[in-house]
Amino acid sequence: MAAMFEGYGSTGPAFDEMFDGDRLRPPYQRLRHSLAELTTPELVSRVDALQAGYLDQGVTFDIGGEERAFPLDIIPRVIEMDTWSTIERGVQQRVKTLEAFLADVYDAGEVFDDGVIPRRVITTSAHYHREAANVRPPNGVRVHVSGIDLIRDNAGEFRVLEDNVRVPSGVSYVMTNRRAISAALPETIAHHRIRPVAGYPQRLLAALRAAAPAGVTDPTVVVLTPGVYNGAYFEHALLARTMGVELVEGRDLECRRGRVMMRTTKGLEPVHVIYRRIDDEFLDPVHFRADSVLGVPGLIDAARAGNVTLANAVGNGVADDKLVYTYLPDLIRYYLDEEPTIKNVDTWRCGDDDAREEVLDRLDELVLKPVDGSGGKGIVIGPRATRAELDELRGKILADPRSWIAQPVVQLSTVPTFVDNELGPRHVDLRPFAVNDGSRVWVLPGGLTRVALPKGELIVNSSRGGGSKDTWVLAGPSVPLDEDELASIQPAAASDATVDAGDAVDAGDAAEEGAEQVPSPEAYPEQPTSAGPAPTESPQVVEQEQQQQQQQQQRQVQVGSDAEVGRC
Amino acid sequence: MLSRIAESMFWIGRYVERAEDTARILDVQTQLLIEDATIDEQETCSGLVSIMGIEPEDLGTDTVDLSVVLDRLCYGATHHSSIAASIAAARESARRARETLSVPLWEALNTTYRAIPSGHFHSMRTPAVFQWVRERAALVNGTADATMVRDEGWHFLMLGRCVERADMTSRLVATASLSAGDETPWSATLRATGGYEAFLRTYRGVETERAATEFLLLDRLFPRSVVFALTRAEQCLANIDATDPRAGFHNEAQRLLGRMRAELEYRALSEISADLPTEMERLQRTCAMATEAVTRRYFAGAEALSWTGVSH
Amino acid sequence: MQLRIHHTTTFTYDGKATASLNQARMTPVTTPEQIVVHNRIEVSPKPWISEYRDYFGTYVTSFEVLDPHDQLVVTATSTVQTQRQPASEPVLSWEDLTTHAVADRWTEYLMRNDLVEPPDDFVERVRRIREDAARPGEAARAVCELVYDEVEYVPGSTQVHTAAAEAWGQRAGVCQDMTHLAIGGLRKLGIPARYVSGYHHPSADPVVGETVTGESHAWLEWWDDGWHAFDPKERIAPDDRYVSVAVGRDYSDVKPISGIYSGASTSEMSVEVDVTRLD
Repeated sequence: MAAMFEGYGSTGPAFDEMFDGDRLRPPYQRLRHSLAELTTPELVSRVDALQAGYLDQGVTFDIGGEERAFPLDIIPRVIEMDTWSTIERGVQQRVKTLEAFLADVYDAGEVFDDGVIPRRVITTSAHYHREAANVRPPNGVRVHVSGIDLIRDNAGEFRVLEDNVRVPSGVSYVMTNRRAISAALPETIAHHRIRPVAGYPQRLLAALRAAAPAGVTDPTVVVLTPGVYNGAYFEHALLARTMGVELVEGRDLECRRGRVMMRTTKGLEPVHVIYRRIDDEFLDPVHFRADSVLGVPGLIDAARAGNVTLANAVGNGVADDKLVYTYLPDLIRYYLDEEPTIKNVDTWRCGDDDAREEVLDRLDELVLKPVDGSGGKGIVIGPRATRAELDELRGKILADPRSWIAQPVVQLSTVPTFVDNELGPRHVDLRPFAVNDGSRVWVLPGGLTRVALPKGELIVNSSRGGGSKDTWVLAGPSVPLDEDELASIQPAAASDATVDAGDAVDAGDAAEEGAEQVPSPEAYPEQPTSAGPAPTESPQVVEQEQQQQQQQQQRQVQVGSDAEVGRC
Repeated sequence: MLSRIAESMFWIGRYVERAEDTARILDVQTQLLIEDATIDEQETCSGLVSIMGIEPEDLGTDTVDLSVVLDRLCYGATHHSSIAASIAAARESARRARETLSVPLWEALNTTYRAIPSGHFHSMRTPAVFQWVRERAALVNGTADATMVRDEGWHFLMLGRCVERADMTSRLVATASLSAGDETPWSATLRATGGYEAFLRTYRGVETERAATEFLLLDRLFPRSVVFALTRAEQCLANIDATDPRAGFHNEAQRLLGRMRAELEYRALSEISADLPTEMERLQRTCAMATEAVTRRYFAGAEALSWTGVSH
Repeated sequence: MQLRIHHTTTFTYDGKATASLNQARMTPVTTPEQIVVHNRIEVSPKPWISEYRDYFGTYVTSFEVLDPHDQLVVTATSTVQTQRQPASEPVLSWEDLTTHAVADRWTEYLMRNDLVEPPDDFVERVRRIREDAARPGEAARAVCELVYDEVEYVPGSTQVHTAAAEAWGQRAGVCQDMTHLAIGGLRKLGIPARYVSGYHHPSADPVVGETVTGESHAWLEWWDDGWHAFDPKERIAPDDRYVSVAVGRDYSDVKPISGIYSGASTSEMSVEVDVTRLD
């Protein structure tokens, strides 16, 4: 395996997280030496077992009708304790700011009066839902779950790429990835003290219960899913199961006299907190799309009456708007009176006159993104565009400058990835998840690292070959290994991929609770295949499911191997 | 439990049982047609199709022969009373309730279903295909028995199975009085239920129409008898709804099934045998009404409504 | 003066509607210009009702009927004491309009969507008005008068979703279209303008105690250090015969009734309004 790192060669100016030139960075020392004695064939066999395991358990996704194992690279990403502390503080700061911002823009709007951000930016956002204007969450929390996407720039500094505070997904893979890697690399895990991730469902449940309407002592929490056709259904089902709450669809719920009830065999039972995995637009046909069969009529009114809590709240989308993103540093200063712990990626708003001039001067150097784009659509990467494309872009910017933002080409950091039976650097990003219970923003130690698997791909999401990595946050400082320790690290005999290494994972106890149970593979249902709509399912439902599915897929990270920030 | 899930469990039970019992009925009839040349194929097939609840107008053909029967009741996945359709429907219900089923049960149902799109099902000829259906049903039922927690979901599953079994056994009994040939159909019918040997032991080898009817309708110990199925169904309802009123029954379905069972048990068998087809039809109607009662009480409102916007 | 208004909306479903959920914006708000003495909304069949104020400050009555019904009748009765001040002189200057206090605060009443976007030839006329107007307030009134002069009131010439540009193109429309058109013109000039829905007594000199058939009416208000109202259909600033109910950016924010129903395939709607001067 030592041979595998020969000729590793990082890609140009990108920050490689394992190697600094030839030197091994401290967080990865143990990893390298633990893997040192594994031969390539052995590693390949473990990779095969990992993929087979995922297929059996149904941790899969669809590409063009073919079901494939969720792509998990066997080499984990290691983040040291101090680095993580900064990330944690940065994420907490971000979430607190967004909470304050949302409470403000749906109420007094002081941030406008004080001139911090033009009101127009908010009022013209498609996600500014005036219906939510007088819906006050019982414990003040609107962002119960968030995913703050981070990248690491050339200097190795973390930057926020995007905030996701509507219906962020992916946390289920964080948990399944940890389980899978513990089975694939048990000895390596044993040599590290890693902070566990299995406690997430309990944290989420506690936060949801804390968000219950006033006066409800034993709230009923449910997970509201669009149904089996939704691409993230696996996650909805997993979370419902690990939290021990009912998984419901819109048709299982009914609003009566301003209260939300669940249709059970014992009659109607009250529901107090809904962890909804349905977009705002489909949630309530009374106020939003009347043709939605996924939602529950009367839900918003019930929330307004204070009889049910919706998590995340309706209308959060205005906070993860691309334009609002550019104002976040100012918002952090305004609401928290603090400097941003994690910076934004440098961004220019073409709507600002000075910025626009500079942008137009440097069109061939920058990445231009439409404010309203998603899924990578409309992004122009200056250095790769032709003369004609740049001229067309110039015209579009001049015609509607407010609709464009520009960012420099950022070289995303790289981490060793096992692709085509060899180790090579691949670009990654990171989505840490945070849970807000009203008194504290808890950040899951780790998060979803997404990696661009193919070399030379520009904008990649899971449907174009993106993958993920298990992300290890070390529970203690990374102490460099000395000679004796190096000599004493003997890899265990190549073990069965099915070895249950659950306990070894939780060896890291740092600030975390010790005894979480890592969910067993048998607990995961198979990912339903999209074998076509059921005969009894109306085409409308299927279409909406597929719409939702597309929206979910488009939110996957795009990570360019040439490291342009090809995301939006 | 959620009404929607309970409904799915109920229908899984019914569809699997329907597939199995349809296979049993068809097994008997195809065997008879082959063995006894004196039987009028058209008449038998028309009678069979009618007992299975298919209107003659829906057949789309005037000549009802064995191939039509096999298409409508076995292979034709688009015909809602066929074995193929029942298997598909069972799997579809299972898909919706997947979180509630045990993994082995889901896999058993799914694998059974997959034989249809893969072509395996259609490649099997009679009587092998009927054998296959019975074996798969046994696998599904056995897996359910071994792996499912005895909670509400289980009771709805059993309830569906029992209601369907009572219904289908009554149809089986009705078809036995169909064939007007020389051979008595009762041995084939009893064999189809797997109870032929048990019957012989019970009735000491005396095989009469009366005895067979008694066995299939009234035997309290034979699991495929109508009375057994109805009793079991009543038990399921009692388990689901634990409240026990002092007088009468709150539960409409319980009342309907209990009354039917009591009638069967307390009326003279000769009364029933006098007009078997009519009596069996009554039984089937009772099962249908009981299903409606169960749906009203436990599954109400579980369908998704579609909304139209209006604004002035 | 004191006015009583009955506003009845009837939905008739073909077949039975199994459920309907609606939001009614038929309750006037007490302002410096009007005091709501009494208001009641009755719905048949009897629904469950909840009330709230929406984003624009309009009272909304939300009601759900969950029993099968083939007809839904909503009647709003309001008794309002009106006391409007006469229209005041223009105050703000054209520069004042560009300040943060105006342009940012009222940004929503400056945005133009398809419904209110003015057509090019109309914009031309509006620009000429701008050149001659010393103050925005003058221009605003002139734009409204332009709409009155050129667009004929022809009931039925447009639909609920007709864009202002279309009404201008055919030089015919109803109060909703005229209001949208004037709003579009004003916003083009940078004058914040908003849509008002309400009622007005059709007689020039209402007789006490006489009940007349009225209508749901629309007019606009523009910002000039305060909201100034003008009715482009009647070419006057609303007086005591006017009762306002809801405000918003355009018609879609102030719909008297909107909602959803399930079960029946179609629904038909009819509206009746009557107004009585009480004092």
